[in-house]
Amino acid sequence: MSPQRPASTEELLIVLMSRDIRDWETCACGALSMIPAASMLLAEATSAPHIETIILGSDQLSGNLGKDIHFLAQRGKLDLFYHSAIQFDAAGDFNLHVIGDPDAPDRRLPGGYGSGLISYTAKRIFFFRTEHSKRTFVEKVDFVSGAGVTPPEFKRAAEPFRVYTPMAILTFDREAARYAVESVHEGFTIDDVRENTTFELDAPDPCPTTPPLTDDELATLRGEVRERMVETGTYADWAAEALQPG
Amino acid sequence: MGVPYIPVRGLAGTDVMERRDDMIMSYNPFDENDLNVVAKAQNPDVAILHAMKADEQGNALLRQFGEDVVVAQASSKVIITAEEIVDSVQPGDAGGNYISAINVTAVVHAPNGAHPTAVKGYYEMDREHIEQYVQASTDDESFQQYLDRYVIGKTEDEYQAMVAEQSMAAAPAGD
Repeated sequence: MSPQRPASTEELLIVLMSRDIRDWETCACGALSMIPAASMLLAEATSAPHIETIILGSDQLSGNLGKDIHFLAQRGKLDLFYHSAIQFDAAGDFNLHVIGDPDAPDRRLPGGYGSGLISYTAKRIFFFRTEHSKRTFVEKVDFVSGAGVTPPEFKRAAEPFRVYTPMAILTFDREAARYAVESVHEGFTIDDVRENTTFELDAPDPCPTTPPLTDDELATLRGEVRERMVETGTYADWAAEALQPG
Repeated sequence: MGVPYIPVRGLAGTDVMERRDDMIMSYNPFDENDLNVVAKAQNPDVAILHAMKADEQGNALLRQFGEDVVVAQASSKVIITAEEIVDSVQPGDAGGNYISAINVTAVVHAPNGAHPTAVKGYYEMDREHIEQYVQASTDDESFQQYLDRYVIGKTEDEYQAMVAEQSMAAAPAGD
């Protein structure tokens, strides 16, 4: 197979998240979720062929799916949900509501449904963010849309949040209420990650390097997965443009 | 539903909780180790809901997705505005959610009544008008101008005539 052109940020996040999907999981994403949709389909085409995928915005699915996903998650049957957020903070809280003063915001964002409800009920959460910067990883979020730590009697899945960025994979351990670096992507160092994060990050020493994307992964993403997204009306226009072969 | 509150899985520790007094943390009465958010019942005095079809008895066909039927059942009075008034709306009619006349106080014939949003099977959303609205809503002054232009002191007929004229002007020339 001929070498693939370097991955875009979107492709990087898609491949990294696809690797961490466990086979047989039931996985879902919300509205406007091209990166999660592609990541699920890539996992299904490679390492996790038996997953169940629930992709809002695909022509393959119809009905009042939002409600179905909500109750599925509340019953403890949703293994994995994808999330983005505009800010993440030291306490594990995240923000998808507003930038600035909530009463006179600089920017309004889509808000709170997934962050306020599904992030509490899905067993695992993959967060992703297309930039790794101090404006994203802040000491304190402008608005808490979802909380990292909740009282012990508040029933909640125990697995750490995972956060995928263009520089690293982070995990937030709710018991310890701390963020840690799991691995740093090729081309960056742990110091780069820390310099672009406002709060403290734990890290193993030496910090592992994220295994680089393989030509096979990129070829499958740009071939089989792209084709399937186009054919099934799953963010078809986006897939055709963002996942071009080569 | 007529219940005083309902448990909610989620929202614990958020600023949504900080800013509202109708949601609190409470233990499950059946399990002292299960803490939840509980939300107080919302009971609007009046709900105004737009239907595709309604009959003179007050039976109506509401949009298929969304929570319109629950909103109607929670409200003291329910006004249905409808694209069409028909002889009879029956449970099982295609294309929407049936709501029975026992929940409905009044019916109003209001064609194009969801403008600038869409009604499935009748018309698409008016994107240009929604853009105007979004622009106007960026500050109080421009929003007041929007209200003065389209809403305050205007009748429904005047509003519909204005938006019809605008969409004619915006439409590409016919061939």
